Amino acid sequence: MLQQLLQLVLAGLTVGSGYALVALGIHIILRATRVINFAQGEFVILGGLLAYTAVSACHLSVLVALPLATAAGFAIGLLFERLVIRPAERSGELTATIATIGTVYVLLYGHALIWGSLPQPLPFFSGGDRDVVWHAGGVEIAAQQIWVVGLLAAALAALWFFFERTTYGKAIRAAADNPLGARLVGIDVDRARAISVAIAIALAAFGGTIIGPITLVGGAAGVAISIKGFVGAIVGGLDSPIGCTLGGLFVGVLEQLLEAPFSYGIADPVVYSLLLAMLLVRPQGLLGSRRAVRD
Amino acid sequence: MSGRLRAEARLLWVIAGLVVLFGVVAARDATLLQAGTYAAIYAVAAIGLSILLGNVAQISVGQAGFFGIGAYTLGFLMTAATWPAWIPVWLEFLLATLLGTLLAAALGLLLGFIALRFRGHYLAMATLAFGLIAVGLFRESKALGGASGLDNIPFAQFGSLSISGGAAFWYAWGMVAVVVFLTANMLRGRTGRAFEALRNDELAAEVLGVPTRRAKIVAFTFAGALAGLAGTFYSSYLGVVDPNAVGVSLSIDLLLMVVVGGAGGVAGAILGAMLIGISNIYGHNLENWRPVIYGVAVIAIVIAFPRGLAGIILRGRPRSLPLLPSAPDAARVAAGPATPAPNEGATAPRLAVDNVSKRFGGLIAVDGVSFALETGRLTSLIGPNGAGKTTLFNLICGVGRVSSGRVTIAGRDVTGWEPHQIAALGVGRSFQNARLFGDMTVLENVVAGAYRLERTNLASDLLALPASRRSGRRALDCARAVLERLDLTRLANTYARDLAFGDRRRVELARALAADPLLMLVDEPAAGLNASERARLREDLLAIRADGVTVLLIEHDMRLVMQISDRVMVLEFGRLIADGAAGAVRADARVVAAYLGTAH
Repeated sequence: MLQQLLQLVLAGLTVGSGYALVALGIHIILRATRVINFAQGEFVILGGLLAYTAVSACHLSVLVALPLATAAGFAIGLLFERLVIRPAERSGELTATIATIGTVYVLLYGHALIWGSLPQPLPFFSGGDRDVVWHAGGVEIAAQQIWVVGLLAAALAALWFFFERTTYGKAIRAAADNPLGARLVGIDVDRARAISVAIAIALAAFGGTIIGPITLVGGAAGVAISIKGFVGAIVGGLDSPIGCTLGGLFVGVLEQLLEAPFSYGIADPVVYSLLLAMLLVRPQGLLGSRRAVRD
Repeated sequence: MSGRLRAEARLLWVIAGLVVLFGVVAARDATLLQAGTYAAIYAVAAIGLSILLGNVAQISVGQAGFFGIGAYTLGFLMTAATWPAWIPVWLEFLLATLLGTLLAAALGLLLGFIALRFRGHYLAMATLAFGLIAVGLFRESKALGGASGLDNIPFAQFGSLSISGGAAFWYAWGMVAVVVFLTANMLRGRTGRAFEALRNDELAAEVLGVPTRRAKIVAFTFAGALAGLAGTFYSSYLGVVDPNAVGVSLSIDLLLMVVVGGAGGVAGAILGAMLIGISNIYGHNLENWRPVIYGVAVIAIVIAFPRGLAGIILRGRPRSLPLLPSAPDAARVAAGPATPAPNEGATAPRLAVDNVSKRFGGLIAVDGVSFALETGRLTSLIGPNGAGKTTLFNLICGVGRVSSGRVTIAGRDVTGWEPHQIAALGVGRSFQNARLFGDMTVLENVVAGAYRLERTNLASDLLALPASRRSGRRALDCARAVLERLDLTRLANTYARDLAFGDRRRVELARALAADPLLMLVDEPAAGLNASERARLREDLLAIRADGVTVLLIEHDMRLVMQISDRVMVLEFGRLIADGAAGAVRADARVVAAYLGTAH
């Protein structure tokens, strides 16, 4: 029983790592631009598919494909900010949010046009077609699960270092918190926003590649990933990066725990009821600040 | 949007012509007829969302939940339920439609209550969650067919006429026509004026007597009912309903229709639904380039035309009033605004404040203040910045809750009342920073001011009953009379946001006066005015007093205060330190000390 529970928690943490990266991306974009990016999950899929192409068409190792997909995500993020978010935001947050919904259509069906509608496999980071599995006290631990959780931790550490310890990272945070003040001290606010969005999309592409070997990449999963990311962000606190990360992990674990004993479908209504209950009881989330709610 | 109703009405006739033309031309093409029918079904749901988004500025990303409730209710009642034998088949369909719509309305009411707690992104998330929970429950429900949903739902049947094919097309667009009729009536009526005011400035609307919370709930209920109605016909027309059909993608499609078509009013929603109905002819299969084009088009349209397709067509049209009477009623205008009921608080003071305190945490902003105002007098409340004057105003008109003490207006204890309830008693208020409704003309602003005098209800508004028309005409007459008195008629059709600063102040006074108030709270009206504007203001205030309105004025311009006040009260650190005739207060040592400091 305990082994089963541990097994499910481990699986949940793995899936939840993907949600955590999505929640974090939503948080970064929201903070920089006041826009909720509904397309965040589609960028996860896109990242995974780019890695798939690097591996299958260019015969690169998946460990090489990971930084490539992440870098490509960064570049696509710059484009996304320039072509969609920035022009749409001039007419308000709602318009920009609707434009991200338009982006969902472009990416969701665009993926299917290029890569087909069926999900594609991505090789495991150790072992290629078949993952390496260890047994520890009756619990099966797959190497990819270690990779996912480890790489999530590495990404978080890198983000923390960038935003907290580098001057440029601090400038981006300043630009997000007080655009006028940041402009007055000489920060290029437009560029700071573009970089923020690019980082968020790079995170999505990174997440799509590390999760890809477990979930397969492609198909219509992006919308569901976006929504689970939202739930994670709300549960943890939309304005708290740590909250978003923990919220995403929590949603992943909860989903696994609910799906195993019950039917596949029960997890969704429970997770969404959790979202609504959270919004009603503690809308700022577990780690968010009250101030954010009435903005 | 209320102001564009006449231009919108012309656009609606054009749309109606196009629909009829389409129906005739496509009569033999099943695919086109189907697309046209879908467009009508979506239009009904989109109109509700358009009101919510464009007229009340509340977002819902969960409208498919209501659509689903309507669809499943009808589907269930027409397949699994056993009807008494004496009910004819056509009535079964109509009853199921009614029940589905009412159920959706009831849930809309519930969501409206939930929505009061949220704004912006959080509201979007909460409504999204609502839609997701609804679809999750449909999928889990055995009675509703689980993941495969309900099928073999019969067509509506009126005698030998089966509502399918061409008949369904005309039936569905007939439904749209009825919905347009009701919605346009509602927007033209008092309800629409409440929406418009609330969308522009919630606080200002509330202190004019608009029950903003109720207005939001009405909008959510209305939007829920329309989505439910659309759903009922959807399942009867298609014969099947399953969870995927009423999932989050439908919620988002409805949102796209409204934004692409143009939020607010009915024409934009219909245009959006037609556009998307047509693009849906080919279905949304994966590996299809059309949805990609569609996504690009959505992005391009919202960037290039943030007010949607209807916004392009209606752009630059002169705005007109929500409701214009056929001919101005000269006699009425001459008679001036209606007088209050004669026995309304005839003996009790218009305002009595009894030992009122307000604490913010450890700070005491208002500290045990008591006074009563003599009817028909102008009393000034002065004091240094931060003395608690505006806080006291807020407590009187219900914007802030007293920590202790009692506020009585015309003999009624209003402690703990909502601002709109207090406003309804005849308490007018102007703000330090003139909170006009920027998107509305001066006349529309002042008409909104007469809200408390209007006598009509939602049902009369929906059906444009004489009560609704009379009420609107009365508000308009009051507004015209007030503008005339304050010599503002020349500005009647100017947008409030385009007004010069001094005019904003005076229009705000006019708006408060339109409610024919017993008591006016005027907050720093002279701030930022030049000498001639101040002289003008003085006349206005004296005229208001001459009308028998009791005035409480906050003002820093001592010359003005001393000239026009019957009585002056001085507030310092939340306490009344002086109260009396102007001359006596000016000589009071404590007042001098409060303003100039004391010599040590």
